[in-house]
Amino acid sequence: MKKLRQNLRVVTALLLSLLIVAGTYCFYSVTTCGGRWFATSTNTRLASQKKQVVAGDIADRTGLVLACTVDGKRTYPRYTGLRKAVAHVVGDNRGFVSHGAETFMASYLLGFKASATERAKQLFSGGETRGDDIALTIDAELCAYASSLITPFVGGAVVVINYKTGEILCSTSWPSFDPRNMTAALNASSGEASLLNRATQGMYSPGSTFKIVTMASALSNFSDAQTRLFNCTGRLDVVNTTVTEAGGAVHGQNTLQTAFAKSCNSAFSTLAMELGASRLRWTASDFGFNENFLFSDLIVYNSVFPSGRLSKDQLAWNGIGQGTVQVTPLHMAMIAGAIGNGGNMMEPRLLLSATGAQGNVRALPGARVYKRCCNETVAAAVKDAMIECVQSGTGKQAQIKGYTVAGKTGSAETSDNKSVRTDAWFAGFVDDPEHPLAIAVVLEKGGSGGTVAAPIAQRVLNRAIKMGY
Amino acid sequence: MAKNRNRKKRRNPACPRRKQPLRAVLAASLLFQASACLLLAFKGEGIDWTAVALAFSLPALSWFFAKPLCRMLRADPLLVTVTDFLCGLGTVLLYALSPATGLKHAVHFALGVAAFSLCALAVRRIKRWGVLCAAAMPVCAALLLLPVAIGHEINGAKNWIGIPGFGSFQPSELVKIMLAFALAQYFSTLRGVKGMIPGLAFAAVCLGVLMLQKDLGTALLYYLVTLLLFWAASSNVPLTLAGLAGGAGAAVLGYKLFAHVRTRVAIWRNPWSDALGKGYQIVQALTAIASGGLFGVGLGMGESRVIPAYSTDFIFAVLCEQMGLVTGVLVLGLYAIVIIRGAGISLRARSRFAALLAMAATAFLGLQTFVIIGGVIKLIPLTGVTLPFLSAGGTSMISCMGLVGILCGVNAATEDGHDADEQMTAQSAEENR
Repeated sequence: MKKLRQNLRVVTALLLSLLIVAGTYCFYSVTTCGGRWFATSTNTRLASQKKQVVAGDIADRTGLVLACTVDGKRTYPRYTGLRKAVAHVVGDNRGFVSHGAETFMASYLLGFKASATERAKQLFSGGETRGDDIALTIDAELCAYASSLITPFVGGAVVVINYKTGEILCSTSWPSFDPRNMTAALNASSGEASLLNRATQGMYSPGSTFKIVTMASALSNFSDAQTRLFNCTGRLDVVNTTVTEAGGAVHGQNTLQTAFAKSCNSAFSTLAMELGASRLRWTASDFGFNENFLFSDLIVYNSVFPSGRLSKDQLAWNGIGQGTVQVTPLHMAMIAGAIGNGGNMMEPRLLLSATGAQGNVRALPGARVYKRCCNETVAAAVKDAMIECVQSGTGKQAQIKGYTVAGKTGSAETSDNKSVRTDAWFAGFVDDPEHPLAIAVVLEKGGSGGTVAAPIAQRVLNRAIKMGY
Repeated sequence: MAKNRNRKKRRNPACPRRKQPLRAVLAASLLFQASACLLLAFKGEGIDWTAVALAFSLPALSWFFAKPLCRMLRADPLLVTVTDFLCGLGTVLLYALSPATGLKHAVHFALGVAAFSLCALAVRRIKRWGVLCAAAMPVCAALLLLPVAIGHEINGAKNWIGIPGFGSFQPSELVKIMLAFALAQYFSTLRGVKGMIPGLAFAAVCLGVLMLQKDLGTALLYYLVTLLLFWAASSNVPLTLAGLAGGAGAAVLGYKLFAHVRTRVAIWRNPWSDALGKGYQIVQALTAIASGGLFGVGLGMGESRVIPAYSTDFIFAVLCEQMGLVTGVLVLGLYAIVIIRGAGISLRARSRFAALLAMAATAFLGLQTFVIIGGVIKLIPLTGVTLPFLSAGGTSMISCMGLVGILCGVNAATEDGHDADEQMTAQSAEENR
């Protein structure tokens, strides 16, 4: 009987702990993810609220109105180029774009954030009930400019962030759609996926831009990484595969920094194999790979570094951003920004301000370090390599007169069964405390990153600096 | 027994000193039920007289259950008060969603009170369960098999029997009570594992039939309770581990063999990938919970009716939307109180049979709560069982109240035993003088 009672106590403890786990999980998951569960187009409450409440305006950071309600109809800017450039960020009224501000910030726009006193005031003052007006951190003009540069391509995205505050200044995705004519967008061929926001949901192979992570990993793990010489013969034979250089180049003997600037594949494949899967994955996760991004202002798809045991062949390719490594353009801009910010990755911000119907400004979370990616020594070394890359390496076309630009180009090859396509990448930042800008440019089937993506990055950054960011 | 010194004042030794606060708790519970019903009565245009009637009859029923009946059956007052509140809360919630369901729930509550009394009395009065168990087991197995033969399928599980003019009826809920008795009876033997075989065999048969009916939630429940009780009774770790491994193996096998199991797991891992199709139910539940915020949108407000099975399996999501996350977590706390009281009764019990019986009832209630709430909040894959006392459904209400009745019956038997002891000591003291 004594033994039985003892066991019964254990069973009780087990039952209670199950309930405690359920309660804790329930509270935790609702407080952390509740906002994004609520702000989906499948939530019927949004549609019902729209019938009773006039949705607030969406403006950009300069006050340019990007969406407003006129006589009960949602209207978007008159200029088509501008409308299409910000279409993914703003979203559409009926929630076809899954995570546009129109849906994701519905709790503000439709007045769910209003306090009881505010609601009472609105009720007594009569007239129509209004939701909050919000301002986004983007500059619509900069978006339109960036969009105009990538429209000649099949698809692509440009993201510019302020790497000190995390504010997203420009985010544009191509192909785009017209929020005024959603039927056309929905009827368009599904192949081009114009409703997909490639900046936050486009999963691309990072190609050589991933060498930023591989280099950071090597610097953190090998003390002799900076002094060591890498000999490039143009090809590196692994077990079953051969890593070759872009354009059949032979780079000869190089230090790590120069190998980075010249984007030498064999050097970084060698490093990746020496690091091994776990150490490289560890650094990758420090930079946010395989992480469930739970940002308060926007939804970003999770970047992927393969899990489990990796063969030498796989490692050789993963170390140079090929194979199953995948990243979104916004995340790439954050990675570049983290290097510029001494290893601190800021949480991206999209919501600049929210104003209630009575003109009361809501408190919003401020700038926040999202992750400490690497220590300052490593960040400084990677930064030097990125600067050399733009000054004398593959990223020469990203130079801006009078400013130090750091960057890394990439030409990511992905193949379906029929053909190989090359996506052009540029990820970099302006090394200037007055203009803390980080950028990521990706162009589908664009070709070489150095000749295609770098010049576009140069022009967008130049324009951003001129605008005073 | 230092506790029992104050014999004359002591009515309910289960909680001797907390009588006054408990009265306040009951008063608050009754007030909540009455005011909630009145709120519903005056919510729409015009007065809903049914709700007004309910505002008087529901607290009256609750009071009857928690006061005279509880005293008569020597039940644990705290356990009864908590159960009582949960049933009342369920009635109010369901009435807010649809008056007809709410009224039905009130009737089920009354039926549940009857089941409670029946079980409590049976456990208190009947001393020998051996023959009864042996006789009831084949009947129960047949009952459980009945839906396979003549039942109909609801939501993918064939575990219902339709009775014309009465409605649907779920045998697996009632067999739950029988399983508690059978396990307690055969596991209380002192002849080691061999003596436990009839109980294990009965559980195995039940499990097999439930799997056949695709009633995964109930099967999981039966399995876990059997395993826990087996370990508690035998302390046989190797065999328990073997049982655990067997269960895990069956789960893996089920995952490999059956498409509907794979679908459940896939939905659990990411319901958003098919938010309008297979993941619809869970996505809508999470949306509803999130819409409620900390303090809810208000009784009868919100749009949780879009969740399929909102009144049964997903009543927790409705609760969270209308009354808020805080209330949801507090209600979980109430279930924890049910477990704590149940465990206390089990630990105080004077025989192995009574202790195991009480723990079986406690485990059924606790695990059922965890399995469904965990499923609704996406902590574990969803398997459809009801939330005790809150979910709509007559059989579920009757079986859950029956389980509470078992607990209170064990409690009363223990108290009766203590009284008999004291009388004997008093008598012998007199004789010695």
